[in-house]
Amino acid sequence: MYTYANLLAMSVGSQPPQTIRVAGEDEVVVITHEDVDRAQDRVRVSAARAQRGFFSNARLLWLLVGPGVLVMLGENDGPSMLSYAATGAKFGIGFFIPFVALTFCMAIVVQEMTVRLGAATHRGHAELIFDRFGPFWGWFSMIDLAIGNFLTLITEFIAIRAGLGFFGVPPWMAVLIALVILYSALMSHRYWTWERITLAAAAFNLVFIPVALMTHPSWHSVGHSFITWQPLPGFNKDTLLIVLADIGATVTPWMLFFQQSATVDKGLTTKDIHFGRIDTVLGAALATAAAVATILATAPLFAHQMTADNFQAAEFAQALQPIIGRFGASLFALGMVEAGIVASITISTSSAYAFGEVTHKPHSLNLPISQGKSFYSVLTLCAVAAAGIVLIPGLPLVYVVLLVNVVAVLAMPPALVFLFMLVNDKEVMGDLVSPLWANVLAGGVVFLLTAAGVLFGISVIAPNIFAALGGR
Amino acid sequence: MVRKDEALRSSPGLSNADRSLVLSSLEHDQLVRAKKHLIPRRHLKGPELAVLWGLRIYLVFMMAVVVYQVWTAAR
Repeated sequence: MYTYANLLAMSVGSQPPQTIRVAGEDEVVVITHEDVDRAQDRVRVSAARAQRGFFSNARLLWLLVGPGVLVMLGENDGPSMLSYAATGAKFGIGFFIPFVALTFCMAIVVQEMTVRLGAATHRGHAELIFDRFGPFWGWFSMIDLAIGNFLTLITEFIAIRAGLGFFGVPPWMAVLIALVILYSALMSHRYWTWERITLAAAAFNLVFIPVALMTHPSWHSVGHSFITWQPLPGFNKDTLLIVLADIGATVTPWMLFFQQSATVDKGLTTKDIHFGRIDTVLGAALATAAAVATILATAPLFAHQMTADNFQAAEFAQALQPIIGRFGASLFALGMVEAGIVASITISTSSAYAFGEVTHKPHSLNLPISQGKSFYSVLTLCAVAAAGIVLIPGLPLVYVVLLVNVVAVLAMPPALVFLFMLVNDKEVMGDLVSPLWANVLAGGVVFLLTAAGVLFGISVIAPNIFAALGGR
Repeated sequence: MVRKDEALRSSPGLSNADRSLVLSSLEHDQLVRAKKHLIPRRHLKGPELAVLWGLRIYLVFMMAVVVYQVWTAAR
C-alpha cells in the first residue's frame, strides 16, 4: 500500500518507517488548519471506539455515517425522483418496484469500493486516476464528470424551480433560495458541520413515504410485485427509456467521486471501513424507501389512466392533488425541492473536490475561505452557472431532464473500469484489494450497464431492428 | 535523521496543542502535506488499454446517439 511513509521513503531512499529525513523544504511536513479540524473529528471517533457497549457503538455509527447516506439520498435527486414518479404513473405497481431495489443493490456494490479506496489511500478518486493512469486518461475521466455534473446540476435547479413553482414562488426566488441554503451549509468551513446540515436536509427525502401512504396503496400488490416482479411491462422503446432512467437514478459517475472524496475529507481510515459499509447500506435502504414510495405515490395516476408524459414536479403534484389533497400534493412538491437542493449541494461539491485533486489545489470542506479560494470558487461557479441557465427563458431544457439519467448510465462503464482497476491494484490497496465475489458483482454491474446502453443505442438508430427483437 | 515529530512544523496561528492533537489523531498519510507526494504511475498493459479505448469509443458513439435523439425529438 502506498502510505505516506512508503512514498517518502521512495523519494528520499530507503529508511526505517518511524523516521523521516529532513533533506529540504519538500520533506518538512506542515500542519494546517485542515489537519487540525480533521484531527478533532478523529479524536471523537477514537474516544467512542475506546469504549464498549451498545451506546458507544451507536455513537461511533453516528460519528462515522455521512458520505454513504449523503451520496445515496443525494442521488435521489430532481431527475431521479421525476423518473420514479414517471415510472409509477406509467406502469403502476409491478416490475419496477423490485427493479429499483435491485439498482440500489448495484449502487451498494459500486459505492463500497469507493469507501475502501478512500480509506486505504486517503486520496480522492480523481487524484488517484491522474496519479496512477496519467493525465491522458485522467482528463477523459474529468471531462465525463464535468459534463455529467453540469447537466445534472441544471436539472436540479429545474426541479427546485418547478417544485417551488407549485407554491407560486417565482423562478428567480426559487433559485435564490436554493443558493442561500447551499451557502448556509458551506459557511461553517467545517466538514462535520456541512455534513450534518446536509444530512438533515437529505432526511427530508423521506417525505415521499407519507405521500405514498396517503394514496392508500395495495400492500398485497406491493408484496406480490416484490416476489414475482410482475406485472411485467411491455418490451418497447418507452420501457427501455424508463429502465435506463431508473438505473441512471441510482448509479452515476459523480457518486464515485463524491463518496471517495468525502471519505477522505471526513478522515476515515481502514479501521472505519466496516462502518463505511454500514453507512452505504443504510443510505441505500433509505433511498430505496423514498424511491419506492415515489412510485407508489404516483401509481394512482396509472390506475386513473392519466397521461403523465413530460410531467415536471409541479404537474405531478397538481395531478395528485385530487387524490391526496392539497397537503399531500404540497409535500410531494416540497420533496422535489429537497431532492434538487441536496443534490445541488453534493454534486457541486464533487466537482470542486475533483478540480482540487487534479490541480493539487487545497480541496476540503474544512478549509477557511482564505485557504480554499479555488475550491469554493469552483463550487460556487458550478452552482451559479447551472442556476443561471435555468433562468434563461426559452431554452429547451426538457430534453436535459429526460436524458440526464441516460447520459449517466452511458458514462458509468468507463468510470467503473477505472474504479475496478484501482480497487484491484495491490500496490495501491495492499490487503484491501477486492475479493473475487466483489469483482464478479462489479463485473456484472458493468456488463448490465453496457448492455442497457447498447440496447438504448439500437432503439434510437435502428428502431426496426429493435422492433424485430420484440420491442415496438 | 530526525524523529518524525521533529520534522513537523505548524502553519501560523496553530499551537503546540494543535500539533500534538494532529500527531496523536491522524495517520501520517492523512496529513495535507503528505498528498504532495504523487502515487507512482502504473504501466497499462495491452488488454487494459484495449478495454479503456473500447469503452472510450463506446461512450463517444453513445453520446452522438443521444445528441441525435435530441435533434430528432426537437424537429
